[in-house]
Amino acid sequence: MSDSIFFISLSIDLSVLLNHGPSAIGPSRFMRSKGLAGQGPPIMYLIPITFVVLKIIKHYQEEGQGSEVVQGVLLGLVVEDRLEITNCFPFPQHTEDDADFDEVQYQMEMMRSLRHVNIDHLHVGWYQSTFYGSFVSRALLDSQFSYQHAIEESVVLIYDPIKTAQGSLSLKAYRLTPELMEICKEKDFTPEALKKANIGFEHMFEEVPIVIKNSHLISVLMWELEDKSTVADKHELLNLSSSNHLEKSLQLLMDRVDDMSQDIVKYNTYSRNLSKQQQQKHQYVQRRQQENAQRQTRGEAALAEEDITKLFKPPQPPPRMDTLLIAGQINNYCQNVKEFTSQNLGKLFMAEALQGHNS
Amino acid sequence: MSRFFATGSDSESEESSSADEITPKTSGPNFRQSLLLSDDEEDTKRVVRSAKDKRFEELTNLIKTIRNAMKIRDMAKCLEEFDQLCRAFLKSKTIVDKEGVPPFYIRLLADLEDYLNQLWEDKEGKKKMNKNNAKSLSSLRQKIRKYNRDYETEIAAYKENPQESADEEEEKEAEESGSSSGSSDDEEEGGEGMTAKNFLKKEAVPEANKFLKGAKGSGDEASSSDDEDDEDWGEDSEDSGSSSSEDGEGKSSSLACRFLKKTQEGEKGLDKKREQRKKKQKKERLEEEAEEEAGEEGEGGWEKVKGGVPLVKPKMFAKGTEINTTVVVKKLNEILQARGKKGTDRAAQIELLHLLAGISGEHNLGQGILVKIKFNIIASLYDYNPNLAAFMKADMWKKCLECIDELLDILFENSNIFIGENIAEDSENLAIIESQPFRVRGCILTLVERMDEEFTKIMQNTDPHSQEYVDNLKDEGHVCGIIDRLLSYLETKGSTEEVCRIYLRRIMHTYYKFDYKAHRRSLGLVAETKSEQDQEESEGEDSAVIMDRLCKFIYAKDRTDRIRTCAILCHIYHHALHSRWYQARDLMLMSHLQDNIQHADPPVQILYNRTMVQLGICAFRQGMIKDAHNALLDIQSSGRAKELLGQGLLMRNMQERNAEQEKIEKRRQVPFHMHINLELLECVYLVSAMLLEIPYMAAHEFDARRRMISKQFHHQLRVGERQPLLGPPESMREHVVAASKAMKMGDWRTCHSFIINEKMNSKVWDLFPETQCVREMLVRKIQEESLRTYLFTYSSVYDSISMGTLSEMFELELAMVHSIISKMIINEELMASLDQPTQTVVMHRTEPTSLQNMALQLAEKLGGLVENNERVFDLKQGVYGGYFNRDQKGSYQQKQGGYQRENRGGYQQRQGGYRGGDGQRGGGYQGGYRGGYQGGNRDGNQGGNRDGNQGGYQGGYRGGYQGGNRDGNRDGNQGGNRDGNQGGYQGGYKGGYQGGYQGGYQRGGGGGGGYGGYRNHQNRDQSNY
Repeated sequence: MSDSIFFISLSIDLSVLLNHGPSAIGPSRFMRSKGLAGQGPPIMYLIPITFVVLKIIKHYQEEGQGSEVVQGVLLGLVVEDRLEITNCFPFPQHTEDDADFDEVQYQMEMMRSLRHVNIDHLHVGWYQSTFYGSFVSRALLDSQFSYQHAIEESVVLIYDPIKTAQGSLSLKAYRLTPELMEICKEKDFTPEALKKANIGFEHMFEEVPIVIKNSHLISVLMWELEDKSTVADKHELLNLSSSNHLEKSLQLLMDRVDDMSQDIVKYNTYSRNLSKQQQQKHQYVQRRQQENAQRQTRGEAALAEEDITKLFKPPQPPPRMDTLLIAGQINNYCQNVKEFTSQNLGKLFMAEALQGHNS
Repeated sequence: MSRFFATGSDSESEESSSADEITPKTSGPNFRQSLLLSDDEEDTKRVVRSAKDKRFEELTNLIKTIRNAMKIRDMAKCLEEFDQLCRAFLKSKTIVDKEGVPPFYIRLLADLEDYLNQLWEDKEGKKKMNKNNAKSLSSLRQKIRKYNRDYETEIAAYKENPQESADEEEEKEAEESGSSSGSSDDEEEGGEGMTAKNFLKKEAVPEANKFLKGAKGSGDEASSSDDEDDEDWGEDSEDSGSSSSEDGEGKSSSLACRFLKKTQEGEKGLDKKREQRKKKQKKERLEEEAEEEAGEEGEGGWEKVKGGVPLVKPKMFAKGTEINTTVVVKKLNEILQARGKKGTDRAAQIELLHLLAGISGEHNLGQGILVKIKFNIIASLYDYNPNLAAFMKADMWKKCLECIDELLDILFENSNIFIGENIAEDSENLAIIESQPFRVRGCILTLVERMDEEFTKIMQNTDPHSQEYVDNLKDEGHVCGIIDRLLSYLETKGSTEEVCRIYLRRIMHTYYKFDYKAHRRSLGLVAETKSEQDQEESEGEDSAVIMDRLCKFIYAKDRTDRIRTCAILCHIYHHALHSRWYQARDLMLMSHLQDNIQHADPPVQILYNRTMVQLGICAFRQGMIKDAHNALLDIQSSGRAKELLGQGLLMRNMQERNAEQEKIEKRRQVPFHMHINLELLECVYLVSAMLLEIPYMAAHEFDARRRMISKQFHHQLRVGERQPLLGPPESMREHVVAASKAMKMGDWRTCHSFIINEKMNSKVWDLFPETQCVREMLVRKIQEESLRTYLFTYSSVYDSISMGTLSEMFELELAMVHSIISKMIINEELMASLDQPTQTVVMHRTEPTSLQNMALQLAEKLGGLVENNERVFDLKQGVYGGYFNRDQKGSYQQKQGGYQRENRGGYQQRQGGYRGGDGQRGGGYQGGYRGGYQGGNRDGNQGGNRDGNQGGYQGGYRGGYQGGNRDGNRDGNQGGNRDGNQGGYQGGYKGGYQGGYQGGYQRGGGGGGGYGGYRNHQNRDQSNY
C-alpha cells in the first residue's frame, strides 16, 4: 500500500474528458500526496492543454510503431504551483543517414521559430511514448536528469499508446526525486552510496498529477460531438480479450526478472568475495599482530606496517543503479498488469451478468 | 699459371700414394687415405683409426670448411665453423696435451686473424657485406682475438717463419707418427714410405684440399682472390712441394693419369652441391653400366663396371677372388655395417647391394643368399629417407615394389626357403646344401607392412587434386596384389600371428571400398558386360565374403587386442558402407567398443570415428533417423569433425600444439581416397536433426525446460535468423535451415523442395549409392514429420480435424496418418482422441494456454529470484557455510541420476533418453512450479536444500544436454567423465522466448555411486548458447 502514497497514477479516459470537460475532474483527486508535500517541489501539477495531448498522440500514430518510441519537447510556463504545458514539438526520428543531426541545434531552431509566431517557448520538459509501460531505463534516467539539472521544473510525460488504443488515455508525468538527483549528480552508484541515500525503487520517480484543460470553445465543440458520435466508437473500452496484452506484459516482466536475477547473482558473488576477503584481511592482520608480539618478546624490531589495502584490493562493486531501475520497471509492469486485470475482471463480471440476464 | 700447374702436380703426387694402395688391396688401414679425400667413401669401410687420427681429421675437416668460408667471405659460416672447431679442439685436449698443438691449427688461427683484420679494415667491403655477415665478422674477430691470446707464442713463431715452423713441425710429427705407426699399421713398408704416408695422412690432405680450393678460387673468382689467398697458396705449394719430392719416388706412372681425374673429382668435392650432382651422374652411369652388365655374361661385365667407377667399388672383390657364399656374406656384412652411419651415401649402398645381388646371381650361389641380399636391399630402400616424416621418392618406391615382388617370386618358387625373424644370424643356412632347406633371417611381413605404410605416406604427401595422386593411387592395386600374394604365402607358411597381421592389412585395404559389383549383382542386374574384363572382375569374390572370412579368422585367432579392434571396426564400416545396418549395429553393440575406445591409440580412435560416422550415414539411408542422429552427434557436436576423422588439421589449434605434435597429427591423417565426405556427413546430420528437432520444438514450444536435441542444428538456425536479408539458399546449410523453417509451418512441399533439388542432389544426395531410395525415404520422412509438426503447432486452432484432409494435405495414406496420430496420442504428445466413424481427430484442449504457460514460467523465474535474493540475505547473516553440506547435494544428484544415466552412455541407450525426455513433459510444470529456477548460475556453493522443494524440476533441467559434449576424439582425459555419473554438457535454459541459453560446463569427478561428485568446476557461459 505504501506505493500508492507516492504514486498517484491517473488515467484519464478521453471520452470522459470529452463528456464532461475539466470541471468533471475534481481537484481533490489531484491533491498532492503527503509524501510530496514535504519535499516541496515547485510544481504542483501539470496542466496540459488538450491540444498538446492530441499532438503527442498524433505524433506516435504517424511515426511510432511497435516498440519504437517517439520523443518530443514540451513547451509551456510555470504559473504559481502549476506547470502549464501549452505546446510541444516532436523530435524527428533518427535514421541512419543523418547521424550528424544536431538535436540541440534543432531544438533551438524550433523554439526560435515558435517564438517568432508568439507561442510559448519556455522549455519545460519532454515527452516519450512507451511500449507496454516499459520506460524506466537508464536512458530515460540520464536524459531526465540532464533536463532537470538544467531546468529545474522539467517533467517527462509518458504516453502509453497501447492503453490509449484500448480506450483509456494513459498519460503520466514524472520527475526525479531530489534524492535521486543527488545520487546522479555524484555519479556514485555503488551499493554503499545507494544505501546511504536510502533510496529504493519507490523513491526514484515522483509522479506529478495531471489535469487536462480545454478552452471553453473546445468544450462546447465536444459536447456537440458527443451527441453525434455513435456507440460503436466506444466499443474498444469493452473489449474482453485480454490474453494478448497480458502475454506481452508477462514476457516483458519475465525479461526484467531474468535481468534482476542476474544482477542479484552478480551482487551475491561480489558480496561473497568481499566477505571472503575481509576474512583474509582479518587473518592477515591477526597474524601480523601475533608475529609482532613474538618479535617484541624476543626484542626484535616490529615488522614494518604494510599497506593492507594494497595487499587486498577490494573487488569491484557492481553498479546497483541498473538493478534499481529494473526493480522500478518491474514495479511498473506489475502496476500495469494489476490495473489491467482489475479492469478486465470487472468487464468480465459485467459480461457474465449480461449473458446471464439474456439467457 | 705455373703455380696452377704446380699445384696440380702436387696434389697428384700426394694422392698417388694413397691411390696406389687402393687398387691392390680391398681393405686395410691404408684405405683411409682415400677416405680422407672424399666424404662419400668414408664410411663404406670400417677402418680402425687411432684417436689422434680421428681427432685431427675432425679438426682438419673443420679447418677446411673454414677456409672455404673464408674464400667466399661467408662470415656467418666462418663463425659457426670456428665455434665448432674450438669445441672439437677442446675435445681433443688430451691428445693435444700429449702431442702439442698441431701446426695446422696454429696456422689457421694466424691466418684467420690476419684475414679478419684485413676484412675489418676494408671499410668498403664491409659496407657491401650483408647485415648478417657483418655481425658475424665483428663477433668472430673479437672471439679470435681472445682465443689467440692463449696461443700467442706459437702464433708469433709461426708468423716469424711460417714455412719453417710448419715444416719443422710436420717433420717432427711425421717422425712421431712414423714411430708409432707400427702398432696401427698392418703393413710392412719401408720406414721412409711410412713416414711419407703418415705425413700425407696428417698434413697433405688438408693442404691439398686447401690447395685445390686455392686453385678453384683463382679459377672461379680470380678477381676476388686477395693477397691472403696468394700467400696461402705460396706456402702450401712449397710445403707440399717438399713432400711431393719425397713421394715422387716409386709411384707408377700409369696411375698418374688416374690421379688427374681424381684431382678433378677432389676439386669438385669441395663444392658440396657440385659433388652431389656429380654423384648423381655417377650413379646414373653406374646404373647404365649395371644394365649393360646384366645383358652381358661373365666376368667381363663385372670388370667393366669396376673399371668405370673406380672410386665406388674398388673394394668389391679383388680380381680373381673365388666368389662363394662366405665371401659374399662377408661382403654383405661389410656393406651393412655402414648402414645408419652419418655420412653414408645411402644411394650408393643400395647400388652396392644390387651389384652384390647380381654377382651372387651370376655365380649361382643359390636362392638363400639372394633372398638375404634382397631383404637388405629393401631395408636400405626404406632407410633411404633419413626421417620418418619424409616419404619415398617415386623411383625408390617403384624399385621397392619391384624388389618385394621379386622376393615373393623367389619365395614362391622355392618352397624350401625358411625365413623368420627368429632365425639367429649364425643359424642361417645360405649355402646350397642338398636336402637341407635354406634358412634366412628376415621378416617379409614386416617389409610388406612397412611398404604399406610408405604407400600411405606417399598418398598423404601428394596433393589429392593432382594427376600425380591418381597416378600414385594406381599403385594401390600393386600394393594390394603384393599383400594378397604374401597372404597366400603366409597362409601356408606363417604363424597365426603373422596371418592375423597380414589379414588386417588386407582388411585395411578393403573395408572402405564400396563393392559395386556385389551391389549390382544384389540388385539383380545382369550386368551388360561391356568387356570381358568386366565380367572377369565381377566373378571375383564379394568383398563382403572376404571381409567376413578374414575378420572371423582374426576374431578367433588374434591375441593382440589392437588387431581385433581394428578388424571389428573395419568390419562394421564395411557392413555400414553396404547398408547392412543391423549387422553393423549388432557388431558394434556386441563388441562394446564404445565403452573402452577412449583407451585406444589415436589411429584406432580415428578408425572408430570413421566407423561411427559410416554407421550413422548407413542408418540414415535406412531411414532410421534417430539412430543416425545419435551416431553422428558425437562427431558433429564437437565441431571438429575434420580433425576427428583424420581428414585434415584445424587451423585454430595452431597455438595449442607445437610443431612436433603437428607432425605426429599429420602422420595420422587418412589418405584422401579414404575420406568421408564432410559435407555429406554434415548434411545427413543436419537433416536428421531437423527431422527430430522441428516436431520436438513444435511440441514443446512453451516448455521452459525444453532441451535441445541438437546444439549444432540450433546454431545453424540461429545463424540463419541473424541474416538481415534472406536470399534463396546457396549452401547446403542454408538449404537445411530454409527447409526447417518451412517444416516449422508444416509446409512439407516447400521443405521437400529445399531438401531435394538440383543443388542438393549434386552436393549431397548423389553421393549415395542408392540415391533414389534415399530420396524417397527422405520425402516420406519429411511428410510424416511435417504432419506431426503441423498437429503440434495448430492443434489449438482446431476443435476437430478430419484425417482425410490431413492425408490430402501431406499426401500420406490414410492409414499412415492414422498411425502417426495414434502414436502421438499414445505418447501423450497430442491431447486428442480419434473418432472412428467420422475419421476425425477431436482435440481435447488440456494443454495450458500460452498465457498460462507464461505465468508458470514467470512463477519459476520468480522462485529463482526469491531464492537468489534470500541468498544475499543469508550472506549477511553469515550462515551460508552450512550449505556446503555435501550429503544433501549427493542425494540431490541421486534424484537426477536415473534420468541422466539414460541420456548418456552408449548410443543404444540414448533412445531411451529421448523417451525419458518426452515423458518428463507430463509432470513438467508441476515440478517446475515447486522448483525454483535453477539457471546455469549456480555457483557451486549453493546447497540447494532450501525447503527441499526443487528436486523434480532440477532433474529435468539437468538432463539438458548430457553427453552432447562427449568428445569424439576421446582423448582419454574424459575417461573419468564417462564412467562417473556426472559430466558432459549441462545446458541451462533461460527464457524460452528469448532463446538465450545459459550453459555451464560441468565436470564431475567420477565420484561413482550415488554421490554424483561435487561440482568442481562450473563456468557460466553466456555465449550464443
